[in-house]
This record gives sequence, C-alpha cells and structure tokens, in this order.
Amino acid sequence: MSCDRIQDLLAPYADSDLAADDKVLVESHCRTCADCAGLLAALKEADEALAGFPEIEPSPALLDRLYRLPVERKVSRPRFRFFLRPSLQPVFAAAAVFMTLVSLYFINPNRKELNRAVVRQFHRGVSQVERLYAKAEALTDTLGAYADNLFVALKAINPLSQNEE
Amino acid sequence: MLVDLFSKRIFNLAYQFAGNAQEAEDLTQDIFLKLHRNLGRYDFDRNFAAWLLTLAKNHLIDEYRRTKWEKRNRDDFDDQLRVTASADDGPETGLAAEETKKVLWEGLNRLSPETRMAVILKEIQGRKYEEVAEILNVPVGTVKSRINRGRVQLAGLIRSAKERSHEL
Repeated sequence: MSCDRIQDLLAPYADSDLAADDKVLVESHCRTCADCAGLLAALKEADEALAGFPEIEPSPALLDRLYRLPVERKVSRPRFRFFLRPSLQPVFAAAAVFMTLVSLYFINPNRKELNRAVVRQFHRGVSQVERLYAKAEALTDTLGAYADNLFVALKAINPLSQNEE
Repeated sequence: MLVDLFSKRIFNLAYQFAGNAQEAEDLTQDIFLKLHRNLGRYDFDRNFAAWLLTLAKNHLIDEYRRTKWEKRNRDDFDDQLRVTASADDGPETGLAAEETKKVLWEGLNRLSPETRMAVILKEIQGRKYEEVAEILNVPVGTVKSRINRGRVQLAGLIRSAKERSHEL
C-alpha cells in the first residue's frame, strides 16, 4: 500500500473513524514507515494544538464601532417601476380623459335626457347606415344591368359570332 | 443585542481566517453592516447563528479572493495568541506546544480559503461536521474530506518544522 493512500486514511484513523480492515492497514504500515508514523504523530499534535487556540476578546474600540453602526433604513424603491415608463404616458392620458368623461356622465343631473339624446343619435346613425346600404345595393344593381347590356351589345357587334350563326 | 451575542464569535472567525487583528476588526464591522442590511432576508426556519456564520464566511472568502491576503503576513502568534503553558506541563512541553501553535498559525495561510474555513470551524472552534456543513452549504462528506486534507497538510508542516529543528 502506497504512502499517499495511507496518508488519506490518517485523519479518519486519528478520529477512530475507520473500518477495522483499514485500521489494521494503517497500523501495520506505520510500523514499517517512519514517514507516515511521523505524520500521524504530527497530526495528533496538530489536532490538540488547534483545539487549544485561545479565543480573543474584541477590543473596546471595535465594540464601540459595532454599537454605533447605523441600522440602514430600507431604501424605498418604487415597486411598480413598470408603470412609470414614458411610453405608457399616452395610455394613461387617454385613460384619464375617459375616466373624466365617465365621471361627468354620472354626475350629470340631466342624465336621462342625455341617454335619450345618445339613443336618438345612435338610431339616427343606424338608419343612415341602412340608407347608405340600400343606395349601395341599388347602385350595384344598376351597374350589373349596365354590364349585361354592354355584354349583349358587344356580342351583337362581334363578326365571328355572326358567321357562326 | 446582536453585537453582544455574536461580536466575539465573528471577530474570532475573522481573526483566525485573516490572521491580522486590524483586518479582522474591519471585516467584523463589514459583516455586521451586511447583517443589518440582510436581516430582512433571514429565513426563520434556519438556525440564526448558522445563517450569520454563513454570511460571515461568504464575506471573508470573497474579501480574501479580492485582496489576496495570502501575500500578507499573519500577526505574530506571540503578540495576540500566546497563552501561558499549563502548570501541569513541564517547561519544555509547554514551549514545544507553543512552537506547534505558531507553526499552525502560520500554516493556516497555506490552506485554500474553503479548507481553511472548514478547519477553523471544526478544529479550532469545535463545531460538529453537520454544523460546518450547514455553514459552508456543502454536504457533510465534502466537509470531512476538506478538513482531513487540511489537517494532513498542517501535520506535514509540523513534521517539516521538527525535522528542521533537529537538523539545527
């Protein structure tokens, strides 16, 4: 077994955290290898020394600095930054106008008359559209008739069709 | 008060990690500032001490990477950390133990930041593997292998120092 492999096992061995087979392996290797035996002894020494490192008291000056640390107030960031985009300003303006009109409608004392006027205007608009539609239909018919006449006239003029007859 | 409860723990962690008292004081202050800023993010299901130590660990390792402390010397072990040898120990034993601690104190700088942090938390501060794993946010197996690697590396430094002293 190589020293490298044994050295990987030294720390668990010092912690008594090895399986019985590996433990025997480490012990038999250390009996014949002074290098690994020395490292194991140094490892135990290091563990003991590290555990004995003293704790140091923080200096009064440091404690004073820590006590005086300002508790930073949370910086209030606008959460709805999206709505502050300049590109949305026309939309908000339109919404504001719409809301103003709606509120004017609701606070208007002659709301019933206004309703009637709106309905009248609406019906007028509808009848105007119907009239336009009827005119358009009549125009379509007239144009269709002209087209038929033209077709008949062209047929009468065509010499080929006369020859066939 | 958070300062009363945790200042000593954080300062010692910073000092053991950085090895310089002035630097450790500044780092402790930075960590407490960060603590104040991040208190709102604390998850009440977590152990507060572990959460704070994770915050401290992240700051220490980030600062280490930013400033490359390994190029600086650590404080002289004698200045801050020397403790009187136990009365039970003979004078030679006490002296040898102090020399070992000196070698280890200097040797901590040879470890990678993650290994150094794991060794400090487990071997110097005496925390359990599970606690260290929670603080470092890595599996227990990874913590064990990091710590074992660090211990063997430090043991190698002690062995070399002894060999040198025997040669003299």
